[in-house]
Amino acid sequence: MPTEYSVMGLFTDENRAISAIEAIKDSPWQLRRVHSPIPSHKILEAMNLKKSKVGWFTLAGGITGFFSGFLLAAFTASQWNLIVGGKPVIALVPFFIVGFEFTILFAIFGNVVGLIHQMQLPEYKGLEEYDPRCSGHHFGVTVSCEADDLEGLKLFFQDKGGEVKVISNGSV
Amino acid sequence: MTELTFTTIDQTILDTLKPPDRSYWVTVGILFLGVLTGAACWVYQILTGLGVAGMNIPVAWGTYLINFVFWVGIAHSGTLISAILHLLRAGWRNPIARAAETMTVFAVCIAGLFPFIHLGRVWMVFFMLPVPNQRNLWQNFQSPLMFDVVAISTYLTVSSLFWYTGMLPDLAIIRDRATGVRKKIFKVISLGWTGAHEQWRHYARGYLFFAALATPLVISVHSVVSWDFALGIVPGWHTTIFAPYFVAGAIHSGLAMVLTLMIPIRKIFHYQKIITVKVLENVAKTIIFTGLIVAFSYATEFFMAWYSRNPLEIAIFKYRPTGDYAVGFWIMVICNTMVPLLFFFKRFRTTTLWLFVISIFVNIGMWFERYVIIVSSVSHDFIPHAWGLYSPSIIEFGILIGSFCLFFFLYLLFVKHLPSVSMTEMKEAVGQGASHAD
Repeated sequence: MPTEYSVMGLFTDENRAISAIEAIKDSPWQLRRVHSPIPSHKILEAMNLKKSKVGWFTLAGGITGFFSGFLLAAFTASQWNLIVGGKPVIALVPFFIVGFEFTILFAIFGNVVGLIHQMQLPEYKGLEEYDPRCSGHHFGVTVSCEADDLEGLKLFFQDKGGEVKVISNGSV
Repeated sequence: MTELTFTTIDQTILDTLKPPDRSYWVTVGILFLGVLTGAACWVYQILTGLGVAGMNIPVAWGTYLINFVFWVGIAHSGTLISAILHLLRAGWRNPIARAAETMTVFAVCIAGLFPFIHLGRVWMVFFMLPVPNQRNLWQNFQSPLMFDVVAISTYLTVSSLFWYTGMLPDLAIIRDRATGVRKKIFKVISLGWTGAHEQWRHYARGYLFFAALATPLVISVHSVVSWDFALGIVPGWHTTIFAPYFVAGAIHSGLAMVLTLMIPIRKIFHYQKIITVKVLENVAKTIIFTGLIVAFSYATEFFMAWYSRNPLEIAIFKYRPTGDYAVGFWIMVICNTMVPLLFFFKRFRTTTLWLFVISIFVNIGMWFERYVIIVSSVSHDFIPHAWGLYSPSIIEFGILIGSFCLFFFLYLLFVKHLPSVSMTEMKEAVGQGASHAD
């Protein structure tokens, strides 16, 4: 006998989706995720989410990049150990340019690694609990509830102007 | 944009991905022949030697490096539109951002080919890579040419990743509406994107960092390209204004190419409601701005030559408007600085035909700008008995045509297989809060 259900309320209106999210926060149901076709700041605010940590990956990449670029240029110059064009062997200004380009390159690598790590992509299992209309013009609010609450949750979503879709049921 | 809804945006853009008709494939085929022509010219040059090109002492830098600078310049407006205007929250960028980013990726790829072509013995390219080798030779990173290797590789990598990351939500939209093999392909390349709030939370932050990092990069890349010339002591090159002058010129040419590409696409794909005349008008206004910066740079070069009282500088700046390359010089001045002034008149910046024609003039002018800068200086430098003239050979023309065909060939393949306008960004621009269905 299933004890927990996942139910998605599909809204064509962002404000109605937000209204449902606000109401769910004060209910016994558990808000699992919200799918939206656009990056909605209102939804993220309604869910009281913390700032993403992607920036730390970016920063780490940038710092690594600067030293990698500068040290690579210094290393290759030290292998020759010849004064070229009157500049010192370890020339700060030109090597800073190499360091700058590497800063950007590695910061972007860090950013991509951060995105992949934080968004947990690629991940194809999530598609099983998803409605394709959420990439179009629907906002999908997924909530889990006990079997006894299922009808109440369906009524709640209908009351908020949404369409109800039971996306999974199973013992947990 | 008030007439647009999420549904109509998706529908309009997804309609562009329907199987194309015969005229599309005929055009693609013709462009592919052009690509083959360019490739054949390059193969002939590799087999015969670099002597088949028109380059010779004193003009050892010819159309290959002119094309390199031209295509790097074209690549610049993509990042300007997608990154700088994103940071400035300029909403009018949204309909053209994807097309401009794609233009950037293809243009950098093509630009990156030209140093290989210019190299002659292309198999020696690994000399530029800092890898341990049996000759125990290492690159000299004090050379601006090595700055270039690093900058262009970085720009290609960053713009490709920026482009792909920006497209992720749109790939998911196509996946959700596709069937069969297409659905499987888009399922893989969309990485399982579902638009969940956790994904958006990190994505929005990561995209902001992409934009913030791409902005200084785009400025640095063309500055580095300009230092290929400015760090040489050749008259007409050795000047501190080159970096901002090249960056402004790059954006000028890139914006013109955006118009050249977007106006036909707008007509063919019925994008009139998405890429409105207002959007095109804003691009035209930006071209006025960049055109004025370019004009100021031209004037500054002449002023500094006169003010410095350096006889070599004065000689080269007398030679450019009156010497062997005067035709190229006046094409450059008229097309880049005078023709764009027509955009001061509303009629010219709101009529698509005029916008298209003027954009072509600017493209031509910007190619000639690089021709004049590169060729005139080295053909007429210090010692009169070492002066010499340059004109491109048929092989160089073949490769030039091949590069343009490759660019438009790749672009045509792109517009029919991937969304040429960002559906997600358009939906953001349309506004949030109202009902998004029809």
